Amino acid sequence: MSRTAETGGKTRAGAGPAGVLSLADVRAAVNGVALWCPDDAPAVTGVVAADLMSDVLVDARPGFVLVTGLVNVQVIRTAAIADLAAVVFARGKAVPDDVIDLARQMNVPVFASHESLFEAAGRLYALVGNRPAGAGPRRQA
Amino acid sequence: MSDAEFVHAYDVVGADFTNAGRASTGIKETLKHMGLPSTLIRRVAIAAYEAEMNLVMYARRGTMTLRVTPNDVTIDVRDEGPGIPDIALAMQEGYSTATPEMRELGFGAGMGLPNIKRNTDDFMITSQVDRGTSLVMTVHMS
Repeated sequence: MSRTAETGGKTRAGAGPAGVLSLADVRAAVNGVALWCPDDAPAVTGVVAADLMSDVLVDARPGFVLVTGLVNVQVIRTAAIADLAAVVFARGKAVPDDVIDLARQMNVPVFASHESLFEAAGRLYALVGNRPAGAGPRRQA
Repeated sequence: MSDAEFVHAYDVVGADFTNAGRASTGIKETLKHMGLPSTLIRRVAIAAYEAEMNLVMYARRGTMTLRVTPNDVTIDVRDEGPGIPDIALAMQEGYSTATPEMRELGFGAGMGLPNIKRNTDDFMITSQVDRGTSLVMTVHMS
């Protein structure tokens, strides 16, 4: 089972352009390292945490960040198919080169975090769920 | 085939987990190049990806045929494989015969067929045990 949270409280309508999270916000929240992130990275509309990709395909909406403990190429393909904003690999797991290469090829930003899946998801839930519309300038990841 | 119809077939190989998802990615890219609405593209792509993963996990080989007309997008998936003995049971969320190896990929949770149905307007599945399974999935333009 996966869990999701969206920007601007519990509804998407609350996430105005000025209140949209950047991937830099996400990276900072999870103490993450960018394995690959383009300059024109998309804005974040919410977060989904799951290890089952079928759950991600059910629960995630376009622009969500996926936080997962699963590390393989199917995570990247799932993110691309579902129009996700980025993937955060939690638990400090090693991310193989073929996963990063596919992320670059499919234009999916990827980050690695040493936080547990629970901790990373909790921090992003706090960041996303409590962020008021119109808060703060956007930053580049 | 009428002039207003686009058709393209993708071959999919069973147990080829490295390339699993490439056909669906190709379908998505094709629809994007056609300029179709992003919401429609995402629904088709998710349904196609679930179907492709099922094919790779369970069948020996198969084809996914994309057909686009002014009215709808259809994907016809036909595989050579073990078939599904009880389709009604397979359509239940959470029912799965996946192996641990399949689950390690992040699939096989028994959500594939229900998720295909959720993302399509018309969905038909037929199957013959020890022969194979056929899915026809359609999303209307409007």
